Amino acid sequence: MKLKKKQTADTASGKSTSAGMLGEAINRRTFLRNSGITAGGAALAFTGGPSMMKKATAASTSPQPGVETEVIRSVCTHCSVGCGVMAEVQNGVWTGQEPDYDSPINMGAHCAKGASVREHGHGERRLKYPMKLVGGKWTKVSWDDAMNEIGDQMLKIREESSPDSVYWLGSAKFNNEQAYLFRKFAALWGTNNVDHQARICHSTTVAGVANTWGYGAMTNSYNDMQNSKAMFFIGSNAAEAHPVAMQHILKAKENGSKLIVVDPRFTRTAAHSDQFIQMRPGTDVPVIWGILWHVFENGWEDKEFISQRVYGMDQIQEEVAKWTPDEVERVTGIPEASLKQAAQTMAENRPGTIVWCMGGTQHTIGNNNTRAYCAMQLALGNMGVSGGGANIFRGHDNVQGATDMCILSHSLPGYFGLSDGAWKHWSSVWGLETDWVRSRFDLDSYENVGGKDVPTINRPGMPVSRWIDGVLEETEQVAQKDNIRAMVLWGHAPNSQTRQPEMKEAMEKLDLLVVVDPYPTHTAILPDRQDGMYLLPACTQFETYGSVTASNRSLQWRHKVIEPLFESLPDHTIMSKFADKLGFKDELFKNIELNGEEPVIEDITREFNRGMWTIGYTGQSPERIKEHMEHRGTFNEVTLKAEGGPLDGEYYGLPWPCWGTPEQKHPGTPNLYDTSKSVADGGLNFRARFGVEREGTNLLAEGSYTVGAEIEDGYPEFTADILKQLGWWDDLTDDEKALAEGKNWKTDQSGGIQRVAIQHGCAPFGNAKARAVVWTFPDPVPIHREPLYTPRRDLVADYPTYEDRKSHYRLPTRYMGIQKEDFSKEFPLIHTSGRLVEYEGGGDESRSNPWLAELQQDMFVEINPADANDISVKDEQMVWLIGPEGGKIKAKAMVTNRVGRGVVFTPFHFGGHYQGEDMLDKYPEGAAPYVRGDADNTTMTYGYDSVTQMQESKVSLCKIEAV
Amino acid sequence: MAKSKMSKSKRRKIALWSTFLVLSLSLALPLASYSIHWLGASASAQDASNAAVNPKSKFWKQVRGGAEGYSAVKGEGANVLVQSGGEDWRQFREGPIMKKAPWAIVGMAVLLLLYHLFHGKNRLDVNSLSGRMVPRWNTFERMVHWITAFSFIALAITGISMLLGKQLLIPVLGPAGFASWAGISMSVHNLIGPVFSIGIALMIVMWIWHNFPTWTDVKWFAKGGGLFGKAHPSAGRMNGGEKVWFWILMTLGVAVCISGIIMVAPIYPQINIPFIDTSRGIMQQATIIHAVGAVIWTAIALGHIYIGTAGTEGALEGMATGYVSEEWANQHHDLWFEKMQQKGKVLLPGEPRGAQDQAGTVYNRQTKHTTT
Amino acid sequence: MARMKFLCDADRCIECNGCVTACKNEHEVPWGVNRRRVVTLDDGQPGEKSISVACMHCTDAPCQAVCPVDCFYTTDDGIVLHDKNLCIGCGYCFYACPFGAPQYPQQTSFGARGKMDKCTFCAGGPEDDMSQVEYERYGRNRIAEGSLPLCAEMCATKALIAGDGDEVADIYRERVLRRGGRPQTWGWDTAYEG
Repeated sequence: MKLKKKQTADTASGKSTSAGMLGEAINRRTFLRNSGITAGGAALAFTGGPSMMKKATAASTSPQPGVETEVIRSVCTHCSVGCGVMAEVQNGVWTGQEPDYDSPINMGAHCAKGASVREHGHGERRLKYPMKLVGGKWTKVSWDDAMNEIGDQMLKIREESSPDSVYWLGSAKFNNEQAYLFRKFAALWGTNNVDHQARICHSTTVAGVANTWGYGAMTNSYNDMQNSKAMFFIGSNAAEAHPVAMQHILKAKENGSKLIVVDPRFTRTAAHSDQFIQMRPGTDVPVIWGILWHVFENGWEDKEFISQRVYGMDQIQEEVAKWTPDEVERVTGIPEASLKQAAQTMAENRPGTIVWCMGGTQHTIGNNNTRAYCAMQLALGNMGVSGGGANIFRGHDNVQGATDMCILSHSLPGYFGLSDGAWKHWSSVWGLETDWVRSRFDLDSYENVGGKDVPTINRPGMPVSRWIDGVLEETEQVAQKDNIRAMVLWGHAPNSQTRQPEMKEAMEKLDLLVVVDPYPTHTAILPDRQDGMYLLPACTQFETYGSVTASNRSLQWRHKVIEPLFESLPDHTIMSKFADKLGFKDELFKNIELNGEEPVIEDITREFNRGMWTIGYTGQSPERIKEHMEHRGTFNEVTLKAEGGPLDGEYYGLPWPCWGTPEQKHPGTPNLYDTSKSVADGGLNFRARFGVEREGTNLLAEGSYTVGAEIEDGYPEFTADILKQLGWWDDLTDDEKALAEGKNWKTDQSGGIQRVAIQHGCAPFGNAKARAVVWTFPDPVPIHREPLYTPRRDLVADYPTYEDRKSHYRLPTRYMGIQKEDFSKEFPLIHTSGRLVEYEGGGDESRSNPWLAELQQDMFVEINPADANDISVKDEQMVWLIGPEGGKIKAKAMVTNRVGRGVVFTPFHFGGHYQGEDMLDKYPEGAAPYVRGDADNTTMTYGYDSVTQMQESKVSLCKIEAV
Repeated sequence: MAKSKMSKSKRRKIALWSTFLVLSLSLALPLASYSIHWLGASASAQDASNAAVNPKSKFWKQVRGGAEGYSAVKGEGANVLVQSGGEDWRQFREGPIMKKAPWAIVGMAVLLLLYHLFHGKNRLDVNSLSGRMVPRWNTFERMVHWITAFSFIALAITGISMLLGKQLLIPVLGPAGFASWAGISMSVHNLIGPVFSIGIALMIVMWIWHNFPTWTDVKWFAKGGGLFGKAHPSAGRMNGGEKVWFWILMTLGVAVCISGIIMVAPIYPQINIPFIDTSRGIMQQATIIHAVGAVIWTAIALGHIYIGTAGTEGALEGMATGYVSEEWANQHHDLWFEKMQQKGKVLLPGEPRGAQDQAGTVYNRQTKHTTT
Repeated sequence: MARMKFLCDADRCIECNGCVTACKNEHEVPWGVNRRRVVTLDDGQPGEKSISVACMHCTDAPCQAVCPVDCFYTTDDGIVLHDKNLCIGCGYCFYACPFGAPQYPQQTSFGARGKMDKCTFCAGGPEDDMSQVEYERYGRNRIAEGSLPLCAEMCATKALIAGDGDEVADIYRERVLRRGGRPQTWGWDTAYEG
């Protein structure tokens, strides 16, 4: 059934015909051949001329009449909505795709990307074999040779420098199991230099939101938006980035909900709004404070909610008072009436929800932005209620899961962080000695925190946004033994990162550059290298299986649709190959069975089930997720609750937290912090994460608790001791007691503490207030700071950025050092970026899909007609867009009123060109995407969030010149 | 019989005028339809601006009017939701072009038949020929003429097949049979069209100098071209009728050729073809011009063919061999014949012809000089 | 007998092009041929609206009227199909069609456009239902399989509706009633004045 390496080799030597003749079971190749003959014969029988379809494609994937069809359920691999995919497979060939009406998430719907996922089964432009750069030419190598050569070099670097000199850049395209395994893999290799795209997508959200009320995720769901009375979008273009979510949004709107869109562009989403507010990029905090100004001015805030469940709103109010309508208009460009109308709409239509995406997160003050959004929802009392919440739309299909599994340089899976306790907990889950795990790391210290030298194992590694500086920065400036010398870009589009010219330089400086991806990606063509570079073909998620977490925290199971194409392998198999070569395979797979080289996915799920107590990834056993997939037709489209059937009362995909062990059958939590349900039924309150009091103020909830809670007030998080104090300890079984002794709800591997807390109606993580003031952050109260590259020099004095920092995530980080220089004279236009519906991420996958690529064939830049006239540029004319750091791109001008005056917009999906030049010949043969163009991040500039190192790719400066 | 003899000249006049009427009507009718359309369009536009209606209707009216937008799909007309030109095009094609214009061909054929039956061939006035020959068309002229002529016949047959085959040929050949004939017709039409166009172009270059109207032509027309009655009006190398035919060839012919070239251009060219606009609207107009022009032209060509073959004794011989008899030349192109005599171009009986062909060409140019 | 129709609810369409790629996917339509497309009017300006359009399977179909070889036929379900055995690729249907539905696979000169291709309402062509030949020439025959056109079935926001004209009209009427006079588009002050 497989298209294996062996068969390919056979074909090359002309032996393939014998397979069919020997009467073996029909394989994909013979199937293709036979159908080709059928098609040819049929065409001969007709004299009507050539058929419209190209015979080659028709023969390879057309449905065959009379051949048994298997319908396989999977989940779209593009965005985080999590649309169900129904694949029709005949003899191992993906021949058809049907709408998945049973899925309560999409109800059969797809956007351009989802409706074209079957192309993954064609894979014409895939990276087909392991490749190696020899004298500047791509040369085919065997998997074994590639692994040996790469492994030897890594071990050498480990010896000469330290494990920290190898950077493991993972992916939000992994399924949960692969993501978890990847984080574990990096830990056992001995480094925290591991990260993935969440860093440059929603890291500021996760940090801001988790520090406000406990968990850093979308609080409700796409479906729940149908209950909203008002929807407030800021920096989100759902119609292009999450099109299927629009189904729920437009249904809500038809039911009377008001839709407000705040954006620098008049987006496709804005076109469907009741009110569109055009803002200057990078002024989110003033916009929100401008709205809250009217809320407080008119007493529209929810005073009861604030007094019971919010800490620090008074300090927010003080800051908001500074943002008078005049000042807001001066900074954001939005007139008073507009924001007053928005405030009134939000006040009069409760519950209302807020949605934000990259437009809010990708800023030097991204964490301030996200916390300002939270503050608005808290002030309006919109949290913890169906129809309300902070509906943060995540990007990639499994970026939520990969974030939860913490392919992040600052945490172990489940947001445990990097403390000794965290290492102890996970070592125990892995069945390894903590000391052995520690011994894998460079035990020296390079950073002094609070007067103590902290070793690398407890210090965050470099973030993905900054790996280039990890390579290029002087060694003394880097808080680890040596610079980064080897990069593994595993499912990462480098063109989604800013500062491309410097990235090119970094890629050229590395000793070793490894790409693991189904496509060669922009990495293959960016550096001018002669050797020391490898491309390893990974298969797509349709060629393997496992669980995936949608943005609404629901887990879904992907079944394998087809066997891996060409010589590609599933990511977890490649990890096992690496672990084998690097010498820690036994430790990595201690609890996980290996099927040949391929780890058994379900064993990985069960392993993380045993450790992810913090966020309730413990109840979702592979069996339960698969059952949900099977019976997804029984779930309600709005509530996501099963009505009847074997899963009656459970929520679709067991949205985390799904407390306790799978046996405890927690139904999942559809809406976070919703006190109108008992915790056992998916209710929750704000998490007690920040202590019980601060400067004499109670941080626990007051008079607010979930339905059925036996403690009818705030309470701290549960530990073994607290259970004993409450007299609930004996509710644990003897086995549970043995494991729970001395533990808390996060580390008790029996799940007993969580079970007993829930049995008494309590949330295991306590019941506290949300904090509108995050005193541990650089700006406890979110304040406005001008972007590093701002055209408003008049505002820099009033709203300056931060001081430069010596070491943040092991690297010096500049702020004022850049902002103090005025670039706006030479580079007068604001440059912002965003998505197109046809493409995703760096776009290598979608630009290689002809069905999508045909729809967007040119890199373009949106320019306001007034600006276009100023520089005498006509629509569809080719222009240079030049950034203040020297990068330039060639793009087609699209003169449109979509962008405001002084703002230009580029999509960030293009790649394959560099500074105007097509790099077609640098791709391995036959693996170049159909559509190539300049990557807009070639001109995007320096700038990183003060908490998470999120890149500032939503606001920079540029100038445009006609080519 | 006496009665018929009495009214013979009157009948001829009626026939002449009715031919003229049919021709001018077939030209004018299409325009009439356009003008009605224009009037209608402007009237409805006024309605829309005056009335206070819901904004959606204005929006949709614009859409209906072919408003352009954006589409990720690239291709001719892809950014237009609704184009109304197609409906006008369809009405015009189904109406005037298919139902009315072809009658011009039938009408012409009937007229010629009647003329031939009642009037008969225009014979030479003399009964015996001297045998002296005058070189009239050189080899190149004849080659161009005949290639163009045969191309025309092929184009006319295939063109009419495609225009009217749906009504006339499907009942005979059946859908599959006609489809394959239509397929062949289209290929033949598309391949021969360019050959024909080159022929037309060459004719224009070769003959335009001989076809500027003169007083002689006015007198020639005043006498009805000698079509009726015994008198032969004077004419140079080209008589008035031939000049009219030439100018029809020149105008309608060029229109048909250019519109034809537009029609065979790709609908969505990957690269812009210089000087050719292949937008859908232009293509629609091209097919209209092509069809109207070709049908009228076919009708007139029937006349030309008749006059050149069955209608005039000795005319075909001229284009077939390049030489006409002294008597024919004198009867039909007396002024030209005189000049040929003066130049000594008239061949004695039995004199070899080959050398004179070149002479003929030189003579043409000399004539040009001498007349001006 | 049912009369099959498409309807695109312009208040729902978000120009995600899902219908376009669903069609490409279902019928393996080659590059350059687009049986369906989305047109956005007033692009980037208040009042912006997107509408998905393909062959509308007209009752008095202009393509059918002008086709010189009469290759079009209307099925019992009211679907306008054509026979590629008869089509000569003359381009007349493209000139006549109000919606720009007819597409041509070849774009060479001398009028060689290839057989016209257009939306079949996922109902194949004159060949045997669900046969290999039918698939190669016209794509999949979903109507014969008992399904509706994939573009509509996969529409992201259920803007594109396909099916029996009466039922399609009922669905749309219900939506319009639910929306009342409230405009669904930024830039439209009211849906109906007064």
